[in-house]
Amino acid sequence: MLTRWNAGWNEFDEMFSAMNQLRTYMDRVFEDTLGGRLQDGRALPFHAGTWPRANLIDAGSNVVVTAEIPGLSEKDVELTLNQDVLTISGERKVSAPEGYSVHRQERPAVSFSRSFALPCRVNAERATASVKDGILTVTLEKAPDAMPRQIAIKA
Amino acid sequence: MSRQTGIVKREPQSLVQSDQRPVIMPACDIYENDDEILVVADVPGVTADSLDINLEKGELTLEARRETSGQAGTFLGVEYRDCDFRRRFAVPGGIDADKINAELRDGVLHLHLPKSEVLKPRQIPVQAG
Repeated sequence: MLTRWNAGWNEFDEMFSAMNQLRTYMDRVFEDTLGGRLQDGRALPFHAGTWPRANLIDAGSNVVVTAEIPGLSEKDVELTLNQDVLTISGERKVSAPEGYSVHRQERPAVSFSRSFALPCRVNAERATASVKDGILTVTLEKAPDAMPRQIAIKA
Repeated sequence: MSRQTGIVKREPQSLVQSDQRPVIMPACDIYENDDEILVVADVPGVTADSLDINLEKGELTLEARRETSGQAGTFLGVEYRDCDFRRRFAVPGGIDADKINAELRDGVLHLHLPKSEVLKPRQIPVQAG
């Protein structure tokens, strides 16, 4: 599923937000929710298309994508860049350690693959990525024709 | 998965929170064996110095501040932000508070709550008489 930001709020979003509300009510009925809860009891939305949660930042000459990937290190995640679409995929396994019985399991075990439509083309050769404290940061340099440019005004 | 466990109780927490900084209860797994209770929590972006763990009167409180390390630029899409992680558990008596230890790695917290001798299962020898 391709995540596209800045597309504006439209009827599809309204329909999905209604479905999300239904899911939240259902989650409250079944106490266990994957992915945690907000203080007021609302479950944070979780379904396969939204893990890991990510932010997209336009930092002038770079585009930065950051994602929450607790428990994963750089060898657990695969990054693919195709023109202006970045795909983050991998698998997060969660299992009870040997010899322990399980009282509660909320951390989601997911096989994920999220694609992000970037706001412009980027230079694939100059992409860097790192993982620290469970946060993945991918820094993509914008392609030369997408760089911000000053336009001189003639008096 | 046992439901009637006294180990986990979700307490209503009435806290004032501003819109800028949501308070989130991190997703937790709770495991148990003969020697300890193990709590594993997803707290991405949290470092050891912003994590606070407190055991008082049978209530274990986990608190952490998470900053999205000052990313400069325009946010085009935001799905997670700076937040406070907070979660409370009711813990059975018989946990050795001095021996609790916590490990934070890759944004996941492993909290070991060792059971004191009182809680450990014990074999009682039977004397033939």
